[in-house]
Amino acid sequence: MAVASRPLLTKLTKHLLLVPFLVFALFPFYHMTITSLKQDRELYDRNAVPLVIKQGPTLEHYSKLLWDTEFLTWTKNSLMVTALATFVSVVIGTIAAYALARLKFFGVAAFGTGIFVTYLVPTSLLFLPLAQVVNWIGLADSKWALVLTYPTFLVPFCTWLLIGYFRTVPKEIEECAMVDGATRIQALWSIVLPIAVPGLICAALFAFTLSWNEFIYALTFTSSSDQITASVGVTTELIRGDIYFWGSLMAGAVLGSVPIVVLYVFFLDYYVSGLTQGAIK
Amino acid sequence: MEPVSRRHFLVGSTAGLAGILATRVPPARGQVREVSYLCWNNFAPASDKKMAEIGQRFTKDTGIKLKIDHISHMGPQQSKYASEVQTQAGHDLVEMRMHFPWLYEPQLVDVSDVVAGLEKQYGKALSSSYEGAHVNGVWRAVPQYHGMFVAAYREDLFKKASLKVPDTWEELYTVGKELKKMGNPVGIPISQNYDSISTAGPVLWSFGGMEVDKDGKTVKINSPATAQTIEWYKKMFKDCMEPEVLSWSDASNNESLQQGKAGWIHNPVSAYIIAKQKKLVTADGINHHRSLGGPSGRHETDTPRHIGIWKFSKNVEPAKEWIKYLIGNKANYDEYIMAGDAFNLPAYEKLADHPVLRTDAKYAALRGEGVQYHTYGWPAPPSDKVQLITNTYLLPNMIAKAVTGTSTKDAMAWAESEMKKILAG
Amino acid sequence: MAVRADELAVTRSRPGVLGRLRVWLDREPVLGPVLVTPALLLLLLLVAYPFVMALYFALSNSFIGRPSEFIGIRNFVKLWDSDVFRQTFQNAFVFTGIAVIFKIVLGICLALLLNEQLWLKRLIRGAVLLPWVIPTALSTLGWWWMFNSLYSVVNWTGIALGIMSPPGPNWLGQAYYAMAAVITVNVWRGLPFFAITILAGLVAIPKELYEAAEADGAGANARFWHITLPLLKPVLAVVVLFSTIFTFSDFNIVYVLTHGGPINSTHLFATLSRQIGIDTGRLGEGAAISLYLFPLLAFVVWVQLRFVRKQQF
Repeated sequence: MAVASRPLLTKLTKHLLLVPFLVFALFPFYHMTITSLKQDRELYDRNAVPLVIKQGPTLEHYSKLLWDTEFLTWTKNSLMVTALATFVSVVIGTIAAYALARLKFFGVAAFGTGIFVTYLVPTSLLFLPLAQVVNWIGLADSKWALVLTYPTFLVPFCTWLLIGYFRTVPKEIEECAMVDGATRIQALWSIVLPIAVPGLICAALFAFTLSWNEFIYALTFTSSSDQITASVGVTTELIRGDIYFWGSLMAGAVLGSVPIVVLYVFFLDYYVSGLTQGAIK
Repeated sequence: MEPVSRRHFLVGSTAGLAGILATRVPPARGQVREVSYLCWNNFAPASDKKMAEIGQRFTKDTGIKLKIDHISHMGPQQSKYASEVQTQAGHDLVEMRMHFPWLYEPQLVDVSDVVAGLEKQYGKALSSSYEGAHVNGVWRAVPQYHGMFVAAYREDLFKKASLKVPDTWEELYTVGKELKKMGNPVGIPISQNYDSISTAGPVLWSFGGMEVDKDGKTVKINSPATAQTIEWYKKMFKDCMEPEVLSWSDASNNESLQQGKAGWIHNPVSAYIIAKQKKLVTADGINHHRSLGGPSGRHETDTPRHIGIWKFSKNVEPAKEWIKYLIGNKANYDEYIMAGDAFNLPAYEKLADHPVLRTDAKYAALRGEGVQYHTYGWPAPPSDKVQLITNTYLLPNMIAKAVTGTSTKDAMAWAESEMKKILAG
Repeated sequence: MAVRADELAVTRSRPGVLGRLRVWLDREPVLGPVLVTPALLLLLLLVAYPFVMALYFALSNSFIGRPSEFIGIRNFVKLWDSDVFRQTFQNAFVFTGIAVIFKIVLGICLALLLNEQLWLKRLIRGAVLLPWVIPTALSTLGWWWMFNSLYSVVNWTGIALGIMSPPGPNWLGQAYYAMAAVITVNVWRGLPFFAITILAGLVAIPKELYEAAEADGAGANARFWHITLPLLKPVLAVVVLFSTIFTFSDFNIVYVLTHGGPINSTHLFATLSRQIGIDTGRLGEGAAISLYLFPLLAFVVWVQLRFVRKQQF
């Protein structure tokens, strides 16, 4: 066997090994997309082949979703809530992470552990007393309640991630700047943050995904059809009693994941390098 | 990515937060007459639209503003109610399904006056509505409509094979055997969903059995009638159904009938209506027949829905006016019922034979002559302990155990001990 | 991107309140708490306080909308008597154990593959991330449709490929198959998180270590077990920690696919808690179910964090 073809063969093998993973990851998505494009007649035909569209595709499920329901409003709500919650969480997480990574002060170790404990309380239990708190603040039935409550499960992970990331920024750079007269805050703002941008993007993407997928808080804290988010709206509108409008539900799933995938593909390199620095240190 | 100037962010968000809090200050009491109503996304979207229409007319006629929100029933609905009760804030009117008024009794306003007025107009409320909404001597919710279970079957297949339309559960077995041989088995779910309870209940009642007695305290599941029920299910499972029924959800029996597999199911009319709307090939062949009977009579599951008013509401009187407008005004009520395509039927005796039943010949069986309708847990009053028995699916699980190998005796004993534990705790 | 020295000089020479504030904030014992306060406030108000309330629910006979009284640990004790709860307890450990092990093994494999020089790297990584990104409420519905006894594409494919005989297993209707199904969906959804995080760990391992080992004659296997795996431990520890917690408290998958059935064989703490706490109004018992594992999980967290901290310093 020629030495030259060895690397190619190895490379091919590696790609082939990836195929089962790709199939596993993409198959359900493919199925959901096909379902969303099938006519009802074919969807309910038990002799139909589930993997292809034989009787002609249709966009009626998408048009039903987009025009007959308030899907666009819900998506707008989801985007707004997610963007704001992400921004708030990353800001809070950043400053907390900087403090925990760099500074020595009373309670630093306790706080570091404490933030993890928040993950031990399941949201399926927490939502009820949280509803009371939200109500006291006066934010019942409002998407602002979500902007307020989502950071509770976003901040801990962002903080942990950014702590790791800040630790990789060499102390010397900051110390240089401070010797030159900068305050710590200035050093953070002008020196550390720019270097840590990949970590910030990583934290932001993680926060974005978790917010976008969240369901139970969205269900509890919003009611009016102009306040609810996309996943709540789609499941509420398209599951009526014992009738599931499968075509439109799957259309909702497809449309509900497209914006995120686009985001991810754009920022993926930052994401991986962000986790690189953050996770291991 | 340009970082936002920190000062701009702080100023902006503080102003924003102040603004938000300012707009959430509620108006002074008595200034604006407004009520909000939370109900499920009705299976018939047309009836939701009709309700919105009637709501607008209500506002025009009375000056009371009405906001209607919808929610998915079962699951999301209960989470929402739990949080509204917990925070003592939320909607004024809420839809109460079946026996919910028992669950939320201390939180619901006494609406006996409204119901009395409606009963004077329309005759007594149906027994299943009474069971669900009349709690410890007081009406906690106003019966709105109901949708009962009925037998849905493939008339065309029956005719082709010259099968007799069954009238008792025993006859269903005879017919079912043939259906399965034809490749169109009977479809009765035996899984952790409410449709399973909706069929197991009537079968049990028709054989004379019950879970808990009407004193609400004595567990009566371990009885010859239950044994008969289990034996019936065992032979149905073996000869008339397929094992897939162990995995079914509430939608599965609909879908099985609609796409031509099941030859007979037990369901409200939703299966037929959707087949009609989506113009499926099976639609023409589906028809309904009267609920099946047994040695102890003809019993059936009903899902009555009522409207309740939370005690914490500050708009109880306007809320009552909305109920009276929607249900008490006969023209409105008729319009609303007609929009439901026979899925929502009037909950009062004198209206039982409603014109909506004549819009399609296949609704004839919904008249339910000689059928006794009950909610889950009958004859025990649906106290929260009895509801826990229902919600933990003890009845379907007992049957599931029996059809998958546990002996009838052991299955009954298991169910009995679990029910006793629940009643004791 | 360093700050210019003359800009800093300007800053320093600014006297007055603002200047003094800056100096004050520059002290570590002050700045630290100040920076941490927003997070602390958020978590105290919106997590700690509700948690205490949830704890109260668990220790009382709380019922929706009714007055409650403190009853100590009676809920916890009574739960252990319940057949359903004991089954749930077992289910949770089986579910989490198997799912996490699969995610670790498959995650490492996938990460190793993704670490290679690949064609279409971005697209492949994007594709692999997709399951994690789709809203859970909707992707589980998609899986329900896939396992649906009537139209199951899983069975159809299996039969077409000849590995199953018709009609194919009754996935959601038989105890072990149902557990396999929910574990599959959980692994499907969680694998991307594992893979990408482990990939990040892999990328950080210095190539020189591998080169040195290869020069010493170590084969690929040895390199993996003696270099890769040990250096991945910190990453793995944290990822496994998060994943264990999230998997134990999983709700959506079981709720949508099986509602806890068949015969309670897939009930998890979250789904059982919902059934008893919310659907039936018994908040006290529901809270007790949810919190049953709290002491165990807290201990696991503490142990893991100590382990990770040791590696860090």
